[in-house]
Amino acid sequence: MIDQVALGIISSLPTVEGLPRLITDVALSFGFFVIVAMALNFQYGNAGIPNMGCAVQVIVGAFTLSAITSRLSYQIMVWINVPIGPWDTNYDWIYGNVARVGVVNEVIKNNPFLGIGLLLFSLAVAMVLGAILGYLMSLPAIRLRATYLMIVLITVADASQRFGFNIPAICGGTLGMAIPNPFEWYPGDQSLVVGVVTLFIGLVSFFVFRTMLNSPYGRLMRSIRENEVTVSSVGKNVVSIRRNILMFASAITAIAGVLYATWINFVSVSFYYRNYWTYWPWLMLILGGPGNNAGTFLGCVLIVIFRKLIQMYKWVIDPYIFFTAQILEDLILGFLLLAVMLFRPNGLIPEKLLYIPGVNYTQLVKEQVKVDWRSTPKARKTKPSSEAKEADK
Amino acid sequence: MFIQFIVSFYEKLFIKMLSALPENVMVELAFIQGALIFASELILLSIGFTLTYVTAKIPNFAHGTYAGIGIYVVYTFASLFHVNPYWGFPVAFLFGGLVSVIVYLLVIGTLTKMGSGSIVLTISTLAIQIFLTALLSIYAYWVLVTYHQYAQAFLLKDLDFEFAGWPGIFIVAMGTSIVTVIILHFTLTRTKLGIAMRATAEDPELASVLGININQIQLFSWFITGALACLAGAMYPLWFQSSPGSGSAIITSIMAGSLLGGFENVYGAIIGGFIVGLSEIVLTYLGQIYIGVWVGEYRSLVPMLFLIIVLLIEPRGLQGFYDRFVASRVKVKPALEEGEKKND
Repeated sequence: MIDQVALGIISSLPTVEGLPRLITDVALSFGFFVIVAMALNFQYGNAGIPNMGCAVQVIVGAFTLSAITSRLSYQIMVWINVPIGPWDTNYDWIYGNVARVGVVNEVIKNNPFLGIGLLLFSLAVAMVLGAILGYLMSLPAIRLRATYLMIVLITVADASQRFGFNIPAICGGTLGMAIPNPFEWYPGDQSLVVGVVTLFIGLVSFFVFRTMLNSPYGRLMRSIRENEVTVSSVGKNVVSIRRNILMFASAITAIAGVLYATWINFVSVSFYYRNYWTYWPWLMLILGGPGNNAGTFLGCVLIVIFRKLIQMYKWVIDPYIFFTAQILEDLILGFLLLAVMLFRPNGLIPEKLLYIPGVNYTQLVKEQVKVDWRSTPKARKTKPSSEAKEADK
Repeated sequence: MFIQFIVSFYEKLFIKMLSALPENVMVELAFIQGALIFASELILLSIGFTLTYVTAKIPNFAHGTYAGIGIYVVYTFASLFHVNPYWGFPVAFLFGGLVSVIVYLLVIGTLTKMGSGSIVLTISTLAIQIFLTALLSIYAYWVLVTYHQYAQAFLLKDLDFEFAGWPGIFIVAMGTSIVTVIILHFTLTRTKLGIAMRATAEDPELASVLGININQIQLFSWFITGALACLAGAMYPLWFQSSPGSGSAIITSIMAGSLLGGFENVYGAIIGGFIVGLSEIVLTYLGQIYIGVWVGEYRSLVPMLFLIIVLLIEPRGLQGFYDRFVASRVKVKPALEEGEKKND
């Protein structure tokens, strides 16, 4: 009785169009990107690890859905005696895909718990795989200079594209694959459910990151960023701490990949280009100001709205440019990155000192401490104040 | 009758051998030529990458995109001006140097003066790469709109000349890289400018005390970097298919070559670039023959493999091996490896 009433209320919801559609899309994109950008802030803004491989961490989430969860769902169909096509050969795997997904979706329509279970399963698997990937990526270069790590991570992102395109068993090669929709039981606009789930997960991960930053571990991270030698001299294993941070953040980033693929119900390697999932989150981070989550939120909101406006009003721009809007986006991306670094190096909201319970910074440190972590040790040296100069005279 | 049969048999066999053998030889020869051309282009690119790393202490991700600019300079000369593509080479040299100097003055130099760390500088080079690649794509579209020519993917092999059966680009590429290496060697060791460059790279403050104008030296080294990269890019479309993104796609090979040479040694970059460039094509070719045709898809993984193996075994590349070899002969304890355990 009650569930029927609930279903009736849900199905009487109006369809989402016009301005609400734009708001929903912005909220969805914000949800996906804020998870990636917060994880990036955790790694780069606080621990000083320049992770240039966000795209490969996101793609792991998508690959989890297409390669593992969909196989599991087909196997479940076999177990509960629902007729479903074969998926042993590459041919069947690719060309029988849509029919099989249709069968699974029919079952999920009547069994919401199956859909939710599949989603939770894929989130868990993606987190584990993301952590493993973070460990593997950290192997060659985590003990070397930060720039070596950037080089390795960027090349790894390219390699993931190669593998995705050429191994059909992962996501159907260049054709891409449809995946079972875990929210098929919701009769209204399913992107609303995905949006709510995404924002909820984003909120949870925000609290997780904030708790970690305000704990002693967060102070340890910042001290590694500031001076690695000092930290290692007091007996902390810098390499293993960095590796742990990379693994943890990889696991969180993989969640964003799962949610994104769930939203569009399709996995194709071409959705996960490096520009899209690595450089845009970096721009959000740098624009907002690395080292604090408020800045990340602000940067994320601004960039997502900006990009959605470009995408929505493409038909207005199109007559004035002779190239595609995609190239215009790339041009703006490169320009904005450079402009922010040159004119607003601290971001819109500069970094604040960490909260430590029971310690009052203003009493501890009389003079105002200006944390400018970007500067080299040479430039960071305090300039002789005017009083000292007068004393010299 | 019998003799006639034998003669005709051998005649047929001989003709078969003649028709079969040269074909195989031609294929092999073309592959080796392609590998050598790519290797000599990569030598030029790796030298430039290493020079940037030595002077600015950052990996310049936009380096491959300079090559992309060279590609389009040559395309402009060959397809729009309808002249021999080799006329584009000196223009590409100068234009690439100019672009590199502008990039240094506007971005890298300004950021360095602002006191940015190496991570921010590296991200700025990535931004330059995105920006320049977008500009190249826009140029390709502009050519399409204005001249109604498809410039998104092209090959200029037909416009190349032939010299005694050898393709012209093979001779030009090999010759250019060898001459460049020799000139660079003499510049760095025998001239005042080269010695000033090395001194600036070692210790800029000490060099400026000795009366070297560091700014001019920096500008000069950035000019050389961009010019060599653009020259290497100019050779690219004469043998390989080119597109706006193909310049940025070489960056992994460049970094692998430079890393194999030790990142801070120009001579190492020459050897590293040659090895990576040659093995990228030869290993893929051998893999296609002995393992399966599917190996060809993974050509871009070869330089990545080099990167990871070098980083795992000896992060300082050939330079590190050489240092160890020298230390073992002199029987002095090797100095603390600075490349490791040092995070900016």
